[in-house]
Amino acid sequence: MLILDRVGKTYPNGVHALDRFSADIRLGEIVAIIGGSGCGKSTLLRAVAGLDRATAGSIVLDDIKITAPHEKIGIIFQEPRLLPWLSVADNIGFGLMGLPTELRREKVARALKRVGLTDKADAWPRELSGGQAQRVAIARALVPQPEVLLLDEPFSALDAFTRRDLQDHLLDLWADTRPTLVLVTHDVDEAVVLADRVIVMRPRPGRKFEEIVINLARPRDRNSPLFDNFKRRVLTALDRSLDRSVPDADAKSTAGEAMWW
Amino acid sequence: MVDFANLHSRARSGFAMAMTLDTPLLQQAEQTAAPASSGRLRRFVRPALGLLLPVGLALGWEIAVRLGWSNGRLVPPPSRVSAEFAELARSGELWRHVVATCLRVAVGFGLGTVVGTLLGAAAGYSTLLRRLIDPSLQGMRAVPSIAWIPLFILWLGIFETSKVALIAVGVFFPIYLGVMGAVMSVDRKIVEVGRTFRLSGPAMIRRILLPAVLPAYVIALRSGLGLGWMFVIAAEFMGASEGLGYLLIDGQQLGKPTEIVAAILAFAVLGKTTDWIVASAAAPFLRWEDRARGAEG
Repeated sequence: MLILDRVGKTYPNGVHALDRFSADIRLGEIVAIIGGSGCGKSTLLRAVAGLDRATAGSIVLDDIKITAPHEKIGIIFQEPRLLPWLSVADNIGFGLMGLPTELRREKVARALKRVGLTDKADAWPRELSGGQAQRVAIARALVPQPEVLLLDEPFSALDAFTRRDLQDHLLDLWADTRPTLVLVTHDVDEAVVLADRVIVMRPRPGRKFEEIVINLARPRDRNSPLFDNFKRRVLTALDRSLDRSVPDADAKSTAGEAMWW
Repeated sequence: MVDFANLHSRARSGFAMAMTLDTPLLQQAEQTAAPASSGRLRRFVRPALGLLLPVGLALGWEIAVRLGWSNGRLVPPPSRVSAEFAELARSGELWRHVVATCLRVAVGFGLGTVVGTLLGAAAGYSTLLRRLIDPSLQGMRAVPSIAWIPLFILWLGIFETSKVALIAVGVFFPIYLGVMGAVMSVDRKIVEVGRTFRLSGPAMIRRILLPAVLPAYVIALRSGLGLGWMFVIAAEFMGASEGLGYLLIDGQQLGKPTEIVAAILAFAVLGKTTDWIVASAAAPFLRWEDRARGAEG
């Protein structure tokens, strides 16, 4: 159980980025956090990851207060952030240095197979495509078997086909150990296809605006009317969060990739 | 400020850098010119292209002297230079001078590298330390290093210590600047990956910072080495009884241009060889680099 209790963040320069954000996230739940720019999504995620400290409230994972990076929490960034001087296999094993070599090799081999990159084990990161690199980043974060995996707009730099592919792949990997996923995104489609619950944020200061529970069975059909219905609800909430009048529903939702910048 | 300073130091060591940078340019030109020719032929042709100009000039001059167009007294033809070389080598003179010069460069380069690396890393890592020491060091760097010679002679005497100190000072600055710049520009995003996996301080240095600064460090070492060769001449000019610099002065005072040219050639060979040693020692650790141009020799 990940409990966020009135988490707030004010930067030293006085910018109030996040205001009293609360959420209780169950083990194995997938939560998408969506909102326009400047609504504190990334600030929140970095605080949960322990990379930055919240200036108010508390983040508690299984009775442990999170103030620094924790072994039960993994994170995947928008960029793969692979270490260019390590081979693909060594990148995946980066977080396993405490383990004996044999065990580490075995785990890395299994992860490589799971993300379909066994033939790239000895390649350098520069030799990978964007999608492959992000798959390595996912494997690197998942191999230490975190209880919570944070994803900060993980697929936003990829093309539409690769993005879809990786979203499905992520769900597939998630099903193996069922960690908690907290996903920051600006892509409505992505939020609805992945999440059990979508939290819509509003900006200045960033705070929670609305929660939408997506009770659709997986695997989800992106073309079903129900799916469209949820997408429209999230879009409407987003528009209201930005104090805009609600535009024509089809103007945005008919486009397969409703991107929210 | 730092960038500008860096440029300045690069310019000063331009002599050394030019030698190493020319080759890949030529290779690049060759690559685009003849993409389809057979690989084995190209492996021999490419280095040969670089030899074309010096060998052609040398041959031309040799012929000019042989035909009597010039007496070749002030600009000796290759045959006389190689005879001089052979004579110096036979008498053991050449080795005595080469060893003396190499020892000075080795000790000076070693000292300058150690101090430059430590101070550069510290100044890059800690903002406080950088504010404390960097302005003074930059100020000292603005002093032409040759200007230290009289002071060093007063302090350290006229023998080896003052020579080594001068070389160390020359080597120190490019390495200090290179290391400081490299440490400062390590990608925050990569450091965060280390933090996410809870690396301890030493582990962070070993697994993230060191590999990240290595490419820039190798360049700093190479420009430092180039300056080391430059300063050893200055050091030997100020009074030495052996060394290639002494050979130069000796050749000037006794009016022996062949000896001067032989010493210059020895410098070129030594400089290029040591640079090649540093570059190829580092190459296996830098295979991961994503470079626009292929690997260089």
